[in-house]
Amino acid sequence: MFLFGIRRLLTALVALWGMATVVFLLLRVLPGDPAETLLAGSGASPEAIALTRQQMGLDDPLPVQYGRYLLSTARGDLGRSLFSNRPVTLAIAEQLPATLHLAMAAWLVMAVVGIGLGILAALRAGSWVDRLTMGGAVLGVSVPIFWSGLLLISIFSVGLNWLPATGAGSWRHLVMPAIVLGLVGAGPLARLVRSSLLDVLHADYITVARGKGLPSRIIITRHAVRNAMIPAINLMGLQAGFLLAGTVVTETVFARPGLGRVMVDAILWKDLPVVQGVVLLIAATYIAINLLVDLTIMVIDPRSRQT
Amino acid sequence: MKKMWGLFVLSLVCVQIIVTGCAPAARSPSASTPGTDTTRHGGKLVYGLTLAPSGIDPHVNASSELGIPLTSVYDNLVYRALDAETDTDQQFVPGLAQSWEVSDDGLAYTFRLRHGVTFHDGTTFNANAVRINIERVMNPDTRSQKAVFLLGPFESVEVLDEYTVTIHLSAPYAPLLDGLAQVYLGMASPAALTEWGMDYQFHQVGTGPFKFVDYVPNDHLTLVRNERYQWGPVLYDHAGPAYLDEIEFRFFTDPAGRALALEAGDTDVMGELPPLDAAQLERDVDFVVLPVPVPGQSLGLMLNSQRPPLDDSRVRQALLLATDRPAIVKAIFGEQSPVAYGPLTAITFGYDPSSANSYAYEPSRARALLDEAGWTDSDGDGIRDRDGQPLTLDAVLMTWGSVPEVAQLLQSQWAEVGVTLQAQTLTYPAALEAARQGKYHLIPQNYSGSDPDLLWSYYHSGVPFNWSQVSDSHLDEVLDRARSLPQPDQRSRAYADAQQRIMELALLVPIRDPVNLNAASGRVQGLRFDAHGWFPLLHDVYFEQVE
Repeated sequence: MFLFGIRRLLTALVALWGMATVVFLLLRVLPGDPAETLLAGSGASPEAIALTRQQMGLDDPLPVQYGRYLLSTARGDLGRSLFSNRPVTLAIAEQLPATLHLAMAAWLVMAVVGIGLGILAALRAGSWVDRLTMGGAVLGVSVPIFWSGLLLISIFSVGLNWLPATGAGSWRHLVMPAIVLGLVGAGPLARLVRSSLLDVLHADYITVARGKGLPSRIIITRHAVRNAMIPAINLMGLQAGFLLAGTVVTETVFARPGLGRVMVDAILWKDLPVVQGVVLLIAATYIAINLLVDLTIMVIDPRSRQT
Repeated sequence: MKKMWGLFVLSLVCVQIIVTGCAPAARSPSASTPGTDTTRHGGKLVYGLTLAPSGIDPHVNASSELGIPLTSVYDNLVYRALDAETDTDQQFVPGLAQSWEVSDDGLAYTFRLRHGVTFHDGTTFNANAVRINIERVMNPDTRSQKAVFLLGPFESVEVLDEYTVTIHLSAPYAPLLDGLAQVYLGMASPAALTEWGMDYQFHQVGTGPFKFVDYVPNDHLTLVRNERYQWGPVLYDHAGPAYLDEIEFRFFTDPAGRALALEAGDTDVMGELPPLDAAQLERDVDFVVLPVPVPGQSLGLMLNSQRPPLDDSRVRQALLLATDRPAIVKAIFGEQSPVAYGPLTAITFGYDPSSANSYAYEPSRARALLDEAGWTDSDGDGIRDRDGQPLTLDAVLMTWGSVPEVAQLLQSQWAEVGVTLQAQTLTYPAALEAARQGKYHLIPQNYSGSDPDLLWSYYHSGVPFNWSQVSDSHLDEVLDRARSLPQPDQRSRAYADAQQRIMELALLVPIRDPVNLNAASGRVQGLRFDAHGWFPLLHDVYFEQVE
């Protein structure tokens, strides 16, 4: 177990280094000069633009910039935003809570709705309930957030005045964004839970359990669902990363603060240190969640522990 | 037991619906005596911003969005008059400077400052404070993105006595007063600048009608009334402190959700509404739409005059004549937006109305000019060609200003005269790079500014953002001269000359004069905007009393 932990940690570090390098290079390949972007429209002279470029450290050769970036990142310093001149770690720390609240609430919506509907559809396979649920799942995945978000705002904020349309700060602000984002992830989850539960329900050991006369409720909760959950947990881990990315649009539609908007602005304006910092954070989160998924599966599936 | 819980939760939900479902999200102003001016006092205004700036230090950052809140935090030495005839001497009115004079050679501007003004932190405003502010802007370590350029050929700042200060220039620069009238050169407390250094943007201290309380990027910015405010400029309708107790600014970056946020009561004022939403709100008695024309460049597509086939002025002129601008403006920007005829908007000082009738939609003349330039449809495919090359133009577009939609209409209008337009939409930095490399025939440009000297930054040869790539000695001479002329009427004539030359050379396809479509709840009274078009004068705003 200890060795497993060390190995996973090393793999994670290599993955992070790889990610950091790819993002660093990708940003340098993309067209655009941050100094020029910053000063466009201000009447700046070519000399002023060149001075700003130098102040930003973009004049140095690429290996020097890369070395500086790796060293400071290793020390936990993600640099300063080229545009606001604020430390990137500070900007992230400030915006992260709002994004985490949204991603976690949406993950909860996804888990409850996805697993619930998946089980319901599997138990009523072939019935109208199944067809309705699976139709809903397709709809959930296909409706874009920028549309469903505005629809919910029109109904529940403008029409009924039940919930605040925009902003953050209370659970009431979180309801609509979490539902909108969570339902997108709930669709695929419901389909997966349904199909894997159907597979399990046709397995031999379930037939044996039925043969032994165990009540249906026990068979489903103790034997079927637990086994059917393994692929679902894998997917829920992956979806956590997807939800983190999905906060970008949701935050914009509901005018919420958060990391998503910071990153989009940083990409659009080519604010190199901010993009690098946020991408690194998302990569680290992804790796951590994957680790968590592996550990969870080890706990619930004894077979995985033997390998 | 479970059923009991269910009933309890259900009843809670019902109570919630009854309590909140029927009541509009009202922010009632505090009670006050009717019939006197005090009826206007009180209340908290929520103001919707449309862009989350990367930084909001006015001396450092350049976003026009930061000026919306900060115009109320700072006072300027002078202000651009709201209702002055644009070609008279009354272009500027006193602010923190009671009066000023310009030396005969145009190199020294001496300001006599108002006495008895204090910053929000109690520091006294005086000539030394002006010096410290200007020196901060000029310090390369400040990395000023806009303010430093507003000071033009700045040389030094000299304190003559406690309330007299002189700004020395190395060359005459008439737009200086316009720069000093902008929020980017608002006067900040020297004590706060020293105390907070690079973090000053989160602890701003000015002398204006509202005090800065806090700012959380992407979330909110809060101001409260400055009770000691007695030195407002004549731009304000009333003297003394502002009416509102508090203003909270919030960020609404998604255009599609702005009108909904206003209708849901999440905000009282909202800027930059999409035209269709503004038209809808106009029909709603609960809201007022306030269209504010913005001075500066018109929204237009610059024509790269160095890249064939646009190096032939006849081809550029043909494109202008083949453009049905009123149709484009009506289809995309609605009734509230004027059609643009030249490089400057009609509201800008120095705008030349004589260009209004040049290049009206005349496809037959466009065809004749293209024929004359040797571009004919020799193979009958509907696209003109010359020496086997089709007449195809590349446009580099950006996502703002509905520019991609404009390009779509241009594609179909120009196809009528046999010109193909290929459009590519890029991010802003990528578009700037394409512009620097000259890899385009057309590229949009639309920078706002209240002084026509902005033409110098976009049409003078050799400047970085001269995207029409023009190099014209007459234009250079006029633009150089115009910025050094002391009298507004002389400048106005010079800029008329510059605009006529720009249109004669057909360096851009002007489309529309930008208009900032603001809307407010019907309860919001007294909302006006300053001469720059973007910045509200919130000092006079109050809530209508509801019985």
